[in-house]
Amino acid sequence: MEIITISKFNNNKGLNDEDEEMEDVSNNDQIVTPGELITEDTVWMRGHGTFALGNKTYSSVAGTILKVNKLLSVKPLKGRYTPETGDHIIGRVIEVGNRRWKVDIGARSDAVLLLGSVNLPGGILRRKSDTDELTMRNMLKEGDLLNCEVQSLFQDGSASLHTRSLKYGKLKNGIFLSVPRSLIIRSKNHSFVLQGNVSIILGVNGYIWIYKTPTVDNRLKTDSTASTASKLQSGVMGRQSGYQVGSGSVSLTRLEEESSWEIYSDKNDENISDAIRSNIIRYRNAIQALAHSQIGINESRINMAYEASMAYGSLGSLTEPEVMENISNDVLNGEKMRGS
Amino acid sequence: MSNKELYSPEGLRLDGRRWNELKSFTCKVNTHQTSSDGSSYVQQGNTKVMCKVNGPLEPKSKANSNNNNASITVNLNIASFSPVERRKRPKSDRRIKEMMTILEKTFSETVITKLYPRTQIIVDCYVLSQDGGILSAVANSVTLALIDAGIAMYDFVSSINVGLYNNSIPILDLNHLEEGDMSFLTLGIVGKSEKLAMMLLEEKIPFDKLETLLGIGISGAQRIKDLMDEELRKHGKLLISTAAS
Repeated sequence: MEIITISKFNNNKGLNDEDEEMEDVSNNDQIVTPGELITEDTVWMRGHGTFALGNKTYSSVAGTILKVNKLLSVKPLKGRYTPETGDHIIGRVIEVGNRRWKVDIGARSDAVLLLGSVNLPGGILRRKSDTDELTMRNMLKEGDLLNCEVQSLFQDGSASLHTRSLKYGKLKNGIFLSVPRSLIIRSKNHSFVLQGNVSIILGVNGYIWIYKTPTVDNRLKTDSTASTASKLQSGVMGRQSGYQVGSGSVSLTRLEEESSWEIYSDKNDENISDAIRSNIIRYRNAIQALAHSQIGINESRINMAYEASMAYGSLGSLTEPEVMENISNDVLNGEKMRGS
Repeated sequence: MSNKELYSPEGLRLDGRRWNELKSFTCKVNTHQTSSDGSSYVQQGNTKVMCKVNGPLEPKSKANSNNNNASITVNLNIASFSPVERRKRPKSDRRIKEMMTILEKTFSETVITKLYPRTQIIVDCYVLSQDGGILSAVANSVTLALIDAGIAMYDFVSSINVGLYNNSIPILDLNHLEEGDMSFLTLGIVGKSEKLAMMLLEEKIPFDKLETLLGIGISGAQRIKDLMDEELRKHGKLLISTAAS
């Protein structure tokens, strides 16, 4: 212990020495705390997590030093989600406003989803009219969860979202879970189909949706007739508030097929079996166990945690602290065994 | 309790400390990871305080929205079971309100609020057990929770109280018996400097003694800063090691 404290002391002293300082700054695992002097050298540009007094650069958060070329920033250990263009996230509608929805995405400020950035029921591509504005609440209302992408950022860092893809939209048939967002790492793909007829969306903002895997053949066989029927029905309903183009007709393209009023329906599928329901809960508790031990969450770890949780028959027991720790230890040990 | 017994001729206090000794200080961060963005627990002797920070987030009401800065709201809950004798204090208690205002003002200066315009930072503090120095324990726990929440700050605020016994002997980090019998001041300093971020003096203290008291308080608070810093680094190392694995 003695040696460690002495070397730490030397490190801090070394900051005044130019040669050692460069070494210090490049060390990625060094933790700095607010108010700590990082460097007196003026060659560095000051990025996030730093502030300057005169020539001296100080840290303003607790975290690790990150330098890219001549940009010096401190990456906080923890913090609220900061949206970036292209992030696949999950949000909750909190307000229906003037041609826009306000969406809580766990960031510093609420995001907006413009009426122009959603798929219209029926999949027709056109300018949104006043009628669409009046039926906004039929599509998404307060409390609805949605799966979306960050389209752009405003000057103040708040996000504008879009759901202009078949993989985005309103969420149903599942359960919501929120974990610390630092546990989810940005990657190419954030939605996975897992075993046990369960799918998952890992929002970059730490919001997770676990749901029944939508069955494609089911949609082709039974849904086409059902959706035609419902479309006719919604066409009738639509007429009450105004004519909906395409909502009364039988669809021809897949876009049109899949983006009927069905995609904004509030009703869960009727055929979610008890087995699927308990699988969803098991996945939820397994992920909760990973989050409890602050382990990063990815597809393979979810699968491992799910398998580890199989040792415990009762789903309720998975929420006990000891069990959660056992599961996460199993996952970490499993990774060591595989050498990953 | 007569005044004499608070400080024995041998230089020992009721709890066996010397005049310049701190109460045992322990702290933890990230104690409530699911219900808050940052949280902490601070124990100074028998004073136990918990703090949760939520934010920066969209203001709950327009009144809390400032176009240039984040607004900091501090809620202080003193549990009715926390004093030696059970006592219910209404939230509108003048002293509690005063402490909340002091904390809000102090941390509005220390947090770099201009980085978070149009947002609100909500700080909830809970006093679970009190044995003197509530305000300083709360201020320390707020500092830790804000740092844990990843909110940018100019520096730590570390706080301590210091009293004057018999108008002559300064005494550091009072417990509740000592607080009841002598005049004391609570101070909070910025990081390891000698700059004051906060000061509360409710009774009279001879002017010529004030400087001594401040000097002793500042060195005590700097020690507290070191202890908090140590805990934060320990926690940070742990986080990095699990994230890397």
